[in-house]
Amino acid sequence: MQRALLAALALSIAGGLLGTWIVLRRLAFFTHAAGSATFPGLVVAGPWGVAPQLAALAAGLGFAGLLSRITRSGATSTDAATGLLLAGALALGSVLASDVYRSGVGVDRLLFGTLLGLSDADVLLAAGVAAVAAAATAVLARTWLATGFDPGGARALGVATARGDWLLLALLAATVVAVLPAVGALLVSTLLVVPAATARLLTSSLPALLATSVALAGAESVAGLLLAYHLDLPPGPAIAIVGGAAFALAALVSAAPWRRGRRVTA
Amino acid sequence: MSAATRDTLVRLEVRGLSASYDGTTPALHDVSFSADSGQAVAVLGPNGGGKTTLFRALLGELAPAAGSVRIEGATAYVPQTERSRLDFPVSALDVALMGAYARTPWYRRFTAADRDLAQVALERVGIAEHARKRFGALSGGQRQRVLIARALVQDAGVLLLDEPFAGVDQTSEEAIMGILDDLRAEGRVLLIATHDVEQARRWDRVLCLRGAQVAYGPPSETLTNAVLEATYGAEIVMLDCGHRAVAVQHHHH
Repeated sequence: MQRALLAALALSIAGGLLGTWIVLRRLAFFTHAAGSATFPGLVVAGPWGVAPQLAALAAGLGFAGLLSRITRSGATSTDAATGLLLAGALALGSVLASDVYRSGVGVDRLLFGTLLGLSDADVLLAAGVAAVAAAATAVLARTWLATGFDPGGARALGVATARGDWLLLALLAATVVAVLPAVGALLVSTLLVVPAATARLLTSSLPALLATSVALAGAESVAGLLLAYHLDLPPGPAIAIVGGAAFALAALVSAAPWRRGRRVTA
Repeated sequence: MSAATRDTLVRLEVRGLSASYDGTTPALHDVSFSADSGQAVAVLGPNGGGKTTLFRALLGELAPAAGSVRIEGATAYVPQTERSRLDFPVSALDVALMGAYARTPWYRRFTAADRDLAQVALERVGIAEHARKRFGALSGGQRQRVLIARALVQDAGVLLLDEPFAGVDQTSEEAIMGILDDLRAEGRVLLIATHDVEQARRWDRVLCLRGAQVAYGPPSETLTNAVLEATYGAEIVMLDCGHRAVAVQHHHH
Protein backbone atom coordinates (compact mmCIF):
# COMPACT_ATOMS: atom_id res chain seq x y z
CA MET A 1 0.00 0.00 0.00
CA GLN A 2 2.86 2.37 0.89
CA ARG A 3 4.50 1.71 -2.47
CA ALA A 4 1.19 2.26 -4.24
CA LEU A 5 0.75 5.61 -2.47
CA LEU A 6 4.26 6.72 -3.42
CA ALA A 7 3.71 5.75 -7.07
CA ALA A 8 0.28 7.39 -7.14
CA LEU A 9 1.63 10.67 -5.77
CA ALA A 10 4.57 10.69 -8.22
CA LEU A 11 2.26 9.93 -11.14
CA SER A 12 -0.10 12.65 -9.91
CA ILE A 13 2.66 15.23 -10.24
CA ALA A 14 3.47 14.07 -13.79
CA GLY A 15 -0.19 13.63 -14.76
CA GLY A 16 -1.34 16.90 -13.21
CA LEU A 17 1.38 19.00 -14.84
CA LEU A 18 1.38 17.32 -18.23
CA GLY A 19 -2.41 16.96 -18.15
CA THR A 20 -2.69 20.75 -18.01
CA TRP A 21 -0.90 21.01 -21.34
CA ILE A 22 -2.80 18.04 -22.78
CA VAL A 23 -6.11 19.74 -21.98
CA LEU A 24 -5.01 23.21 -23.09
CA ARG A 25 -3.60 21.84 -26.36
CA ARG A 26 -6.69 19.64 -26.97
CA LEU A 27 -4.69 16.42 -26.95
CA ALA A 28 -7.05 14.47 -24.69
CA PHE A 29 -8.31 12.06 -27.37
CA PHE A 30 -4.79 11.60 -28.71
CA THR A 31 -3.58 10.76 -25.19
CA HIS A 32 -6.36 8.23 -24.63
CA ALA A 33 -5.62 6.62 -27.99
CA ALA A 34 -1.85 6.57 -27.35
CA GLY A 35 -2.49 4.72 -24.08
CA SER A 36 -4.82 2.21 -25.72
CA ALA A 37 -2.38 1.71 -28.60
CA THR A 38 0.15 0.22 -26.17
CA PHE A 39 -2.16 -2.74 -25.46
CA PRO A 40 -0.82 -5.06 -28.22
CA GLY A 41 2.74 -4.26 -27.10
CA LEU A 42 1.93 -5.14 -23.50
CA VAL A 43 0.31 -8.42 -24.58
CA VAL A 44 3.40 -9.61 -26.50
CA ALA A 45 5.95 -8.29 -23.97
CA GLY A 46 5.70 -11.31 -21.64
CA PRO A 47 5.80 -14.10 -24.26
CA TRP A 48 8.59 -12.36 -26.15
CA GLY A 49 10.65 -11.71 -23.01
CA VAL A 50 10.72 -7.93 -23.56
CA ALA A 51 10.39 -5.32 -20.80
CA PRO A 52 6.73 -4.16 -20.85
CA GLN A 53 7.80 -0.49 -20.79
CA LEU A 54 9.87 -0.98 -23.95
CA ALA A 55 7.11 -2.92 -25.70
CA ALA A 56 4.58 -0.23 -24.74
CA LEU A 57 6.88 2.52 -25.96
CA ALA A 58 7.42 0.72 -29.28
CA ALA A 59 3.66 0.29 -29.73
CA GLY A 60 3.08 3.96 -28.86
CA LEU A 61 5.70 5.11 -31.35
CA GLY A 62 4.18 2.82 -33.99
CA PHE A 63 0.81 4.47 -33.30
CA ALA A 64 2.30 7.96 -33.72
CA GLY A 65 4.08 6.95 -36.93
CA LEU A 66 0.95 5.42 -38.46
CA LEU A 67 -1.14 8.43 -37.44
CA SER A 68 1.32 10.75 -39.16
CA ARG A 69 1.33 8.55 -42.29
CA ILE A 70 -2.47 8.28 -42.55
CA THR A 71 -3.11 12.01 -42.05
CA ARG A 72 -0.26 13.22 -44.29
CA SER A 73 -2.33 13.54 -47.44
CA GLY A 74 -5.09 15.46 -45.67
CA ALA A 75 -7.75 13.04 -46.94
CA THR A 76 -8.35 11.64 -43.45
CA SER A 77 -8.77 13.94 -40.44
CA THR A 78 -6.59 13.44 -37.37
CA ASP A 79 -9.65 12.63 -35.23
CA ALA A 80 -10.87 9.96 -37.64
CA ALA A 81 -7.40 8.43 -38.01
CA THR A 82 -6.92 8.42 -34.22
CA GLY A 83 -10.26 6.62 -33.78
CA LEU A 84 -9.34 4.12 -36.48
CA LEU A 85 -5.99 3.28 -34.89
CA LEU A 86 -7.52 3.15 -31.41
CA ALA A 87 -10.04 0.53 -32.56
CA GLY A 88 -7.36 -1.34 -34.49
CA ALA A 89 -4.97 -1.46 -31.50
CA LEU A 90 -7.66 -2.74 -29.14
CA ALA A 91 -8.78 -5.35 -31.68
CA LEU A 92 -5.22 -6.52 -32.33
CA GLY A 93 -4.46 -6.67 -28.62
CA SER A 94 -7.64 -8.67 -27.95
CA VAL A 95 -6.89 -11.20 -30.69
CA LEU A 96 -3.28 -11.59 -29.52
CA ALA A 97 -4.37 -12.00 -25.90
CA SER A 98 -7.26 -14.40 -26.47
CA ASP A 99 -6.21 -16.51 -29.46
CA VAL A 100 -2.45 -16.25 -29.89
CA TYR A 101 -0.93 -16.06 -26.41
CA ARG A 102 -4.01 -16.96 -24.35
CA SER A 103 -3.14 -14.35 -21.68
CA GLY A 104 -6.38 -15.06 -19.79
CA VAL A 105 -6.96 -12.99 -16.64
CA GLY A 106 -3.74 -11.00 -17.27
CA VAL A 107 -5.63 -8.92 -19.82
CA ASP A 108 -7.58 -7.14 -17.07
CA ARG A 109 -4.32 -6.08 -15.51
CA LEU A 110 -2.98 -4.76 -18.83
CA LEU A 111 -6.14 -2.81 -19.56
CA PHE A 112 -6.93 -1.45 -16.08
CA GLY A 113 -3.62 -1.58 -14.20
CA THR A 114 -2.68 -2.82 -10.78
CA LEU A 115 -1.56 0.02 -8.59
CA LEU A 116 -1.43 -2.30 -5.57
CA GLY A 117 1.05 -4.67 -7.24
CA LEU A 118 3.73 -2.32 -8.55
CA SER A 119 7.42 -3.15 -8.53
CA ASP A 120 10.23 -0.91 -7.29
CA ALA A 121 11.14 -0.24 -10.93
CA ASP A 122 7.59 1.03 -11.59
CA VAL A 123 7.85 3.44 -8.64
CA LEU A 124 11.26 4.65 -9.77
CA LEU A 125 9.98 5.23 -13.30
CA ALA A 126 7.01 7.19 -11.89
CA ALA A 127 9.36 9.35 -9.80
CA GLY A 128 11.63 9.94 -12.79
CA VAL A 129 8.77 11.00 -15.04
CA ALA A 130 7.44 13.30 -12.30
CA ALA A 131 10.84 15.01 -12.04
CA VAL A 132 11.12 15.41 -15.82
CA ALA A 133 7.55 16.74 -16.10
CA ALA A 134 8.24 19.34 -13.39
CA ALA A 135 11.51 20.40 -15.03
CA ALA A 136 9.94 20.55 -18.51
CA THR A 137 7.03 22.64 -17.25
CA ALA A 138 9.47 25.10 -15.63
CA VAL A 139 11.58 25.39 -18.77
CA LEU A 140 8.91 25.18 -21.47
CA ALA A 141 5.80 26.74 -19.91
CA ARG A 142 6.09 29.96 -21.94
CA THR A 143 6.80 28.04 -25.15
CA TRP A 144 3.82 25.73 -24.67
CA LEU A 145 1.56 28.58 -23.62
CA ALA A 146 2.44 30.85 -26.55
CA THR A 147 2.26 28.00 -29.09
CA GLY A 148 -1.10 26.82 -27.85
CA PHE A 149 -2.57 30.31 -27.52
CA ASP A 150 -1.51 31.62 -30.90
CA PRO A 151 0.11 28.98 -33.14
CA GLY A 152 0.49 31.41 -36.06
CA GLY A 153 2.13 34.19 -34.08
CA ALA A 154 4.22 32.26 -31.54
CA ARG A 155 7.31 31.89 -33.74
CA ALA A 156 7.38 35.63 -34.35
CA LEU A 157 7.66 36.04 -30.55
CA GLY A 158 10.96 34.16 -30.63
CA VAL A 159 9.41 30.91 -29.42
CA ALA A 160 10.82 27.59 -30.74
CA THR A 161 7.40 26.10 -31.47
CA ALA A 162 8.46 22.93 -33.32
CA ARG A 163 10.99 21.91 -30.68
CA GLY A 164 8.46 22.63 -27.92
CA ASP A 165 5.82 20.48 -29.61
CA TRP A 166 8.25 17.62 -30.16
CA LEU A 167 9.30 17.67 -26.51
CA LEU A 168 5.67 17.79 -25.35
CA LEU A 169 4.78 14.70 -27.39
CA ALA A 170 7.93 12.84 -26.27
CA LEU A 171 7.14 13.60 -22.62
CA LEU A 172 3.55 12.57 -23.17
CA ALA A 173 4.72 9.19 -24.54
CA ALA A 174 7.08 8.65 -21.58
CA THR A 175 4.35 9.55 -19.08
CA VAL A 176 1.85 7.23 -20.74
CA VAL A 177 4.37 4.39 -20.37
CA ALA A 178 4.94 5.27 -16.69
CA VAL A 179 1.21 5.43 -15.96
CA LEU A 180 0.39 2.08 -17.64
CA PRO A 181 1.31 -0.30 -14.77
CA ALA A 182 -0.82 1.72 -12.36
CA VAL A 183 -4.04 2.35 -14.30
CA GLY A 184 -3.66 0.26 -17.46
CA ALA A 185 -3.88 0.98 -21.18
CA LEU A 186 -7.55 2.00 -21.12
CA LEU A 187 -7.45 4.38 -18.16
CA VAL A 188 -4.41 6.60 -18.78
CA SER A 189 -6.82 9.53 -19.10
CA THR A 190 -7.72 9.02 -15.44
CA LEU A 191 -4.44 10.64 -14.44
CA LEU A 192 -3.49 12.51 -17.63
CA VAL A 193 -6.77 14.21 -18.56
CA VAL A 194 -9.47 14.07 -15.86
CA PRO A 195 -7.73 16.08 -13.08
CA ALA A 196 -6.64 18.85 -15.48
CA ALA A 197 -10.06 18.98 -17.13
CA THR A 198 -11.62 19.34 -13.66
CA ALA A 199 -9.12 22.02 -12.63
CA ARG A 200 -9.92 23.89 -15.86
CA LEU A 201 -13.46 24.40 -14.59
CA LEU A 202 -12.29 25.93 -11.32
CA THR A 203 -9.36 28.15 -12.30
CA SER A 204 -8.63 30.99 -14.69
CA SER A 205 -4.87 31.46 -14.56
CA LEU A 206 -2.10 29.11 -15.63
CA PRO A 207 -0.32 28.84 -12.24
CA ALA A 208 -3.62 28.07 -10.50
CA LEU A 209 -4.52 25.54 -13.20
CA LEU A 210 -1.20 23.70 -12.83
CA ALA A 211 -1.37 23.65 -9.01
CA THR A 212 -5.03 22.60 -8.88
CA SER A 213 -4.50 19.90 -11.48
CA VAL A 214 -1.63 18.33 -9.49
CA ALA A 215 -3.57 18.64 -6.21
CA LEU A 216 -6.67 17.04 -7.71
CA ALA A 217 -4.68 14.22 -9.32
CA GLY A 218 -3.05 13.48 -5.95
CA ALA A 219 -6.30 13.67 -3.98
CA GLU A 220 -8.21 11.53 -6.49
CA SER A 221 -5.44 8.93 -6.57
CA VAL A 222 -5.24 8.61 -2.78
CA ALA A 223 -9.04 8.56 -2.41
CA GLY A 224 -9.33 5.97 -5.20
CA LEU A 225 -6.63 3.82 -3.63
CA LEU A 226 -8.31 3.88 -0.22
CA LEU A 227 -11.65 3.09 -1.85
CA ALA A 228 -10.08 0.17 -3.73
CA TYR A 229 -8.33 -1.13 -0.60
CA HIS A 230 -11.39 -1.05 1.63
CA LEU A 231 -14.00 -2.14 -0.91
CA ASP A 232 -11.76 -4.66 -2.72
CA LEU A 233 -12.06 -2.87 -6.05
CA PRO A 234 -9.43 -2.61 -8.82
CA PRO A 235 -7.50 0.66 -8.11
CA GLY A 236 -7.51 2.08 -11.66
CA PRO A 237 -11.30 2.06 -12.07
CA ALA A 238 -11.72 3.27 -8.46
CA ILE A 239 -9.54 6.33 -9.20
CA ALA A 240 -11.49 6.89 -12.42
CA ILE A 241 -14.79 6.87 -10.52
CA VAL A 242 -13.48 9.37 -7.95
CA GLY A 243 -12.13 11.56 -10.79
CA GLY A 244 -15.47 11.47 -12.60
CA ALA A 245 -17.32 12.42 -9.43
CA ALA A 246 -14.90 15.32 -8.80
CA PHE A 247 -15.43 16.55 -12.36
CA ALA A 248 -19.22 16.45 -11.95
CA LEU A 249 -18.97 18.39 -8.69
CA ALA A 250 -16.63 20.96 -10.25
CA ALA A 251 -19.01 21.39 -13.19
CA LEU A 252 -21.82 22.17 -10.74
CA VAL A 253 -19.66 24.63 -8.79
CA SER A 254 -18.37 26.37 -11.92
CA ALA A 255 -21.95 26.86 -13.16
CA ALA A 256 -22.97 28.57 -9.91
CA PRO A 257 -24.15 32.17 -10.39
CA TRP A 258 -21.53 33.67 -8.04
CA ARG A 259 -18.69 32.31 -10.20
CA ARG A 260 -19.76 34.08 -13.38
CA GLY A 261 -17.69 37.03 -14.60
CA ARG A 262 -14.52 35.86 -12.88
CA ARG A 263 -11.40 37.93 -13.37
CA VAL A 264 -7.98 36.43 -13.88
CA THR A 265 -4.66 37.41 -12.43
CA ALA A 266 -1.53 37.87 -14.51
CA MET B 1 6.80 53.63 -25.77
CA SER B 2 5.76 57.26 -26.01
CA ALA B 3 4.16 58.71 -29.11
CA ALA B 4 7.39 60.58 -29.81
CA THR B 5 9.42 59.63 -32.87
CA ARG B 6 11.58 56.56 -32.31
CA ASP B 7 15.33 57.02 -32.41
CA THR B 8 15.98 54.02 -34.63
CA LEU B 9 15.30 54.41 -38.33
CA VAL B 10 13.57 51.50 -39.96
CA ARG B 11 13.80 50.31 -43.53
CA LEU B 12 12.30 47.33 -45.28
CA GLU B 13 13.55 46.27 -48.68
CA VAL B 14 12.35 43.28 -50.68
CA ARG B 15 13.97 42.46 -54.02
CA GLY B 16 12.75 39.80 -56.49
CA LEU B 17 11.33 37.67 -53.66
CA SER B 18 9.93 34.24 -54.51
CA ALA B 19 8.85 31.75 -51.84
CA SER B 20 7.56 28.20 -51.82
CA TYR B 21 6.23 25.80 -49.17
CA ASP B 22 7.18 22.57 -50.96
CA GLY B 23 10.36 23.75 -52.66
CA THR B 24 8.89 23.42 -56.15
CA THR B 25 5.58 25.30 -56.58
CA PRO B 26 6.05 29.01 -55.85
CA ALA B 27 3.37 30.43 -53.54
CA LEU B 28 4.70 33.91 -54.20
CA HIS B 29 6.74 35.08 -57.15
CA ASP B 30 8.90 38.09 -57.98
CA VAL B 31 7.91 40.66 -55.33
CA SER B 32 9.92 43.88 -55.05
CA PHE B 33 9.11 46.85 -52.87
CA SER B 34 10.58 48.98 -50.12
CA ALA B 35 9.23 51.03 -47.24
CA ASP B 36 10.88 53.55 -44.96
CA SER B 37 10.25 54.81 -41.44
CA GLY B 38 6.76 56.17 -41.04
CA GLN B 39 5.24 54.45 -44.05
CA ALA B 40 2.17 52.26 -43.96
CA VAL B 41 1.73 49.76 -46.78
CA ALA B 42 -1.58 48.06 -47.49
CA VAL B 43 -1.08 44.50 -48.76
CA LEU B 44 -4.08 43.75 -50.92
CA GLY B 45 -4.99 40.49 -52.59
CA PRO B 46 -7.43 37.58 -52.71
CA ASN B 47 -7.33 34.60 -50.35
CA GLY B 48 -4.34 32.50 -51.40
CA GLY B 49 -2.85 35.51 -53.18
CA GLY B 50 0.36 35.38 -51.15
CA LYS B 51 -0.21 37.85 -48.29
CA THR B 52 0.49 35.26 -45.58
CA THR B 53 3.42 33.85 -47.56
CA LEU B 54 4.93 37.32 -47.82
CA PHE B 55 4.56 37.85 -44.07
CA ARG B 56 6.15 34.46 -43.31
CA ALA B 57 9.07 35.31 -45.56
CA LEU B 58 9.48 38.72 -43.89
CA LEU B 59 9.46 37.03 -40.46
CA GLY B 60 12.18 34.60 -41.58
CA GLU B 61 9.86 31.59 -41.16
CA LEU B 62 10.05 30.81 -44.87
CA ALA B 63 13.39 30.99 -46.66
CA PRO B 64 13.25 32.87 -49.97
CA ALA B 65 13.48 30.55 -53.00
CA ALA B 66 14.84 33.56 -54.88
CA GLY B 67 15.51 37.21 -54.17
CA SER B 68 16.22 38.88 -50.84
CA VAL B 69 14.61 40.48 -47.80
CA ARG B 70 16.43 43.19 -45.85
CA ILE B 71 14.89 44.63 -42.71
CA GLU B 72 16.61 47.18 -40.49
CA GLY B 73 14.81 46.90 -37.17
CA ALA B 74 12.94 44.22 -35.25
CA THR B 75 9.79 42.74 -36.81
CA ALA B 76 6.57 41.80 -35.03
CA TYR B 77 3.52 39.96 -36.30
CA VAL B 78 -0.01 40.88 -35.24
CA PRO B 79 -2.31 37.95 -36.07
CA GLN B 80 -6.04 38.06 -36.60
CA THR B 81 -7.73 37.77 -33.24
CA GLU B 82 -9.87 34.87 -34.52
CA ARG B 83 -6.70 32.81 -34.90
CA SER B 84 -5.91 32.93 -31.18
CA ARG B 85 -7.45 30.58 -28.61
CA LEU B 86 -10.13 32.43 -26.66
CA ASP B 87 -10.45 29.72 -24.00
CA PHE B 88 -6.84 29.99 -22.78
CA PRO B 89 -6.30 31.02 -19.15
CA VAL B 90 -4.48 34.25 -20.01
CA SER B 91 -5.30 37.86 -19.18
CA ALA B 92 -4.78 40.84 -21.48
CA LEU B 93 -1.63 41.62 -19.47
CA ASP B 94 -0.35 38.04 -19.89
CA VAL B 95 -0.76 38.37 -23.67
CA ALA B 96 0.99 41.74 -23.78
CA LEU B 97 3.86 40.27 -21.72
CA MET B 98 4.34 37.56 -24.36
CA GLY B 99 6.05 40.36 -26.29
CA ALA B 100 8.90 40.11 -23.76
CA TYR B 101 9.38 36.32 -24.14
CA ALA B 102 12.34 36.60 -26.52
CA ARG B 103 14.39 38.66 -24.05
CA THR B 104 13.36 36.77 -20.88
CA PRO B 105 15.16 33.45 -20.21
CA TRP B 106 12.95 30.65 -18.84
CA TYR B 107 14.61 30.83 -15.43
CA ARG B 108 13.85 34.54 -14.95
CA ARG B 109 10.58 36.22 -14.07
CA PHE B 110 9.54 39.22 -16.12
CA THR B 111 11.39 42.33 -15.03
CA ALA B 112 9.54 45.27 -13.48
CA ALA B 113 10.52 47.25 -16.59
CA ASP B 114 8.82 44.72 -18.87
CA ARG B 115 5.70 44.68 -16.69
CA ASP B 116 5.61 48.48 -16.83
CA LEU B 117 6.15 48.34 -20.60
CA ALA B 118 3.22 45.94 -20.99
CA GLN B 119 1.00 48.13 -18.82
CA VAL B 120 1.94 51.24 -20.81
CA ALA B 121 1.35 49.39 -24.10
CA LEU B 122 -2.13 48.42 -22.91
CA GLU B 123 -2.76 52.04 -21.92
CA ARG B 124 -1.69 53.19 -25.39
CA VAL B 125 -4.22 50.92 -27.05
CA GLY B 126 -6.93 51.89 -24.54
CA ILE B 127 -7.17 48.55 -22.74
CA ALA B 128 -5.45 49.38 -19.42
CA GLU B 129 -8.68 49.06 -17.43
CA HIS B 130 -9.14 45.53 -18.80
CA ALA B 131 -5.53 44.41 -18.16
CA ARG B 132 -6.55 41.64 -15.76
CA LYS B 133 -9.58 40.50 -17.70
CA ARG B 134 -9.40 37.16 -19.47
CA PHE B 135 -8.32 37.71 -23.09
CA GLY B 136 -11.20 35.58 -24.39
CA ALA B 137 -13.74 37.69 -22.48
CA LEU B 138 -12.80 40.85 -24.40
CA SER B 139 -14.56 42.00 -27.57
CA GLY B 140 -12.96 41.33 -30.98
CA GLY B 141 -11.73 44.91 -31.26
CA GLN B 142 -10.32 44.90 -27.73
CA ARG B 143 -8.51 41.62 -28.39
CA GLN B 144 -7.02 43.04 -31.58
CA ARG B 145 -5.73 46.03 -29.61
CA VAL B 146 -4.16 43.69 -27.01
CA LEU B 147 -2.32 41.90 -29.82
CA ILE B 148 -1.03 45.27 -31.06
CA ALA B 149 0.11 46.03 -27.49
CA ARG B 150 2.03 42.72 -27.56
CA ALA B 151 3.88 43.92 -30.67
CA LEU B 152 4.68 47.21 -28.89
CA VAL B 153 6.21 45.28 -25.99
CA GLN B 154 8.41 43.54 -28.59
CA ASP B 155 9.52 47.09 -29.47
CA ALA B 156 9.37 46.24 -33.15
CA GLY B 157 10.12 48.81 -35.82
CA VAL B 158 8.23 46.82 -38.45
CA LEU B 159 4.71 45.58 -37.72
CA LEU B 160 3.02 43.02 -39.96
CA LEU B 161 -0.71 43.20 -39.29
CA ASP B 162 -2.89 40.40 -40.64
CA GLU B 163 -6.32 41.91 -41.40
CA PRO B 164 -6.50 43.95 -38.19
CA PHE B 165 -10.02 45.19 -38.98
CA ALA B 166 -11.59 41.77 -39.64
CA GLY B 167 -14.51 41.08 -37.29
CA VAL B 168 -14.09 44.41 -35.52
CA ASP B 169 -16.93 46.86 -34.80
CA GLN B 170 -16.94 50.45 -36.07
CA THR B 171 -15.79 51.98 -32.76
CA SER B 172 -12.86 49.60 -32.44
CA GLU B 173 -11.99 50.08 -36.12
CA GLU B 174 -11.66 53.82 -35.54
CA ALA B 175 -9.64 53.23 -32.37
CA ILE B 176 -7.28 50.81 -34.17
CA MET B 177 -6.97 53.25 -37.06
CA GLY B 178 -5.90 55.97 -34.60
CA ILE B 179 -3.34 53.65 -32.98
CA LEU B 180 -1.87 52.73 -36.37
CA ASP B 181 -1.66 56.40 -37.31
CA ASP B 182 0.27 57.05 -34.08
CA LEU B 183 2.64 54.13 -34.73
CA ARG B 184 3.28 55.41 -38.24
CA ALA B 185 3.93 58.90 -36.89
CA GLU B 186 6.53 57.42 -34.53
CA GLY B 187 8.50 56.18 -37.52
CA ARG B 188 7.48 52.53 -37.56
CA VAL B 189 6.83 50.69 -40.82
CA LEU B 190 3.41 49.05 -41.00
CA LEU B 191 2.36 46.34 -43.45
CA ILE B 192 -1.38 45.86 -43.26
CA ALA B 193 -2.91 42.84 -45.00
CA THR B 194 -6.46 43.68 -45.99
CA HIS B 195 -9.27 42.77 -48.35
CA ASP B 196 -10.83 46.21 -48.11
CA VAL B 197 -9.93 48.50 -51.02
CA GLU B 198 -11.40 51.58 -49.33
CA GLN B 199 -9.29 50.80 -46.27
CA ALA B 200 -6.20 50.48 -48.47
CA ARG B 201 -6.72 54.02 -49.81
CA ARG B 202 -5.88 55.40 -46.37
CA TRP B 203 -2.30 54.16 -46.35
CA ASP B 204 0.84 55.53 -48.02
CA ARG B 205 1.47 52.64 -50.41
CA VAL B 206 -0.47 49.68 -51.72
CA LEU B 207 1.07 46.34 -52.67
CA CYS B 208 -1.27 44.22 -54.81
CA LEU B 209 -0.57 40.48 -54.85
CA ARG B 210 -2.03 37.60 -56.81
CA GLY B 211 0.62 34.90 -56.49
CA ALA B 212 3.00 37.53 -57.87
CA GLN B 213 3.26 41.28 -57.55
CA VAL B 214 0.57 43.03 -59.58
CA ALA B 215 1.37 46.60 -58.54
CA TYR B 216 3.11 48.68 -55.89
CA GLY B 217 2.85 52.40 -55.33
CA PRO B 218 0.67 55.18 -53.96
CA PRO B 219 -3.07 54.38 -53.74
CA SER B 220 -3.89 56.87 -56.50
CA GLU B 221 -1.73 54.88 -58.94
CA THR B 222 -2.42 51.34 -57.78
CA LEU B 223 -6.11 51.28 -56.89
CA THR B 224 -7.37 51.54 -60.44
CA ASN B 225 -10.01 49.32 -62.03
CA ALA B 226 -7.39 47.64 -64.21
CA VAL B 227 -5.08 46.79 -61.27
CA LEU B 228 -7.96 45.60 -59.06
CA GLU B 229 -9.28 43.35 -61.83
CA ALA B 230 -5.79 41.94 -62.31
CA THR B 231 -5.51 41.39 -58.55
CA TYR B 232 -8.90 39.84 -57.84
CA GLY B 233 -9.96 38.55 -61.27
CA ALA B 234 -13.46 37.09 -61.33
CA GLU B 235 -13.76 37.31 -57.54
CA ILE B 236 -14.34 41.05 -57.61
CA VAL B 237 -17.42 43.13 -58.33
CA MET B 238 -16.68 46.60 -59.63
CA LEU B 239 -19.17 49.35 -58.95
CA ASP B 240 -18.79 52.92 -60.19
CA CYS B 241 -19.62 55.36 -57.40
CA GLY B 242 -18.90 58.82 -58.74
CA HIS B 243 -15.16 58.97 -59.35
CA ARG B 244 -14.19 56.01 -57.20
CA ALA B 245 -14.13 52.30 -57.79
CA VAL B 246 -15.42 50.19 -54.93
CA ALA B 247 -14.29 46.58 -54.74
CA VAL B 248 -16.33 43.89 -53.09
CA GLN B 249 -14.68 40.53 -52.63
CA HIS B 250 -16.45 37.34 -51.69
CA HIS B 251 -14.54 36.56 -48.52
CA HIS B 252 -14.58 33.02 -47.21
CA HIS B 253 -13.57 32.32 -43.61
